[in-house]
Amino acid sequence: MSYKKVLLHGLWQDLPPFRLVLGLCPALAVTASIENGLGMGLAATFVLIFSNMLISMLRNIIPDQVRIACFIVLIATLVVIVEMVMKAYFFPLSQQLGIYIPLIVVNCIILGRAEAFASRNPVLLSMADGLSIGIGFTLSLSLVGSIREILGAGTWFGIPLFGSNFEPFEFMIKAPGAFLCLGILLGLMNAYSRKRGESIIQT
Amino acid sequence: MREISKLVLVLSLICGISAAALTIVRVSLEERIDMQNDFYVRGPALEQLFQKPANDVLKNKIAFAIDDITYPIFYMTDGDMITGLAIEAPGRGGYAGDIIIMMGIDTEAEKIIGLEIIQHSETPGVGSKVEKVSFRKQWCNLGISESFELRTHGGIIDAISGATYSSNAVVDGTNRVKSIINDHLDEIESLIQANLD
Repeated sequence: MSYKKVLLHGLWQDLPPFRLVLGLCPALAVTASIENGLGMGLAATFVLIFSNMLISMLRNIIPDQVRIACFIVLIATLVVIVEMVMKAYFFPLSQQLGIYIPLIVVNCIILGRAEAFASRNPVLLSMADGLSIGIGFTLSLSLVGSIREILGAGTWFGIPLFGSNFEPFEFMIKAPGAFLCLGILLGLMNAYSRKRGESIIQT
Repeated sequence: MREISKLVLVLSLICGISAAALTIVRVSLEERIDMQNDFYVRGPALEQLFQKPANDVLKNKIAFAIDDITYPIFYMTDGDMITGLAIEAPGRGGYAGDIIIMMGIDTEAEKIIGLEIIQHSETPGVGSKVEKVSFRKQWCNLGISESFELRTHGGIIDAISGATYSSNAVVDGTNRVKSIINDHLDEIESLIQANLD
């Protein structure tokens, strides 16, 4: 597999969470504002790149029977490091993301990439894969976060976009708004894929 | 047999190295995390308790260690007199771990001026209601000589319905502060005096 292909596949072909339909929990839960979505995406990207790197480095040492346990230990270590760094340098963000940062450990995308890609590919290629999927995830969460924040609060990155007469569509920043937003985006993407005649359409 | 020992060895090695890495990160970031906690969590709580800007109170900090637990204590002074204390303590037995509380005490009138929740991981919407003013204000103006109990145990504190564990943990934390005040006030005062000089 070429680097170009690996670097690009996370941006459309395997775009999480829309195309993989993995990692929906953070995509629904922390995207009430773009700041949260972006922060969550970046934290997950960091964990993805380094978990892919470590797992790829150790892929010939880790015995097959205990691979899942080893992957989880490595991923959990990275997640706790991210959590502590966030608490030390981005405290308000870490308070808003709360429980969802430790929950990156069980994010299917990360374990999925470890199992499907990093455990059978060389180190640099695996890091490229982590970067690509991570950027895709970050962009997706930022998109959902932007839509919800703009419609639901009338702001973007906390900056008011409309005049004081704007009545925000509060429904969008509550939980049901997340489902609605994600559903509509998934629908649009599937319609676009179908038009392009691509084979993977989530049904 | 050799197969199994290899599995055990690799997994233990990975766990060991991970633990070492985490310890290093924790030790190097601990101080900074504590600073952030002071600024974003304890500061606002102290402002609520003493009605003074956080910066005036945050620097009046001592650490009082007893029974392997270190309690951060903040104090207010009027000249040489200690007028108020804010003691932070863990409340054991929460539904999802300890609930860290901070209790403000007027040392002259020997009564409680307020209760703040510093940190908890209780279920949102259920146990998280311990943060509500209506629950916390039950401690306001109470004396510090008697233990606090939930009404179901014959006390005067109303538990949050559906969150007995969380309510109990807060009661436990406040009782801890109460016993520190009752048993070790002299030691705390001398620590503060030493800090003032």
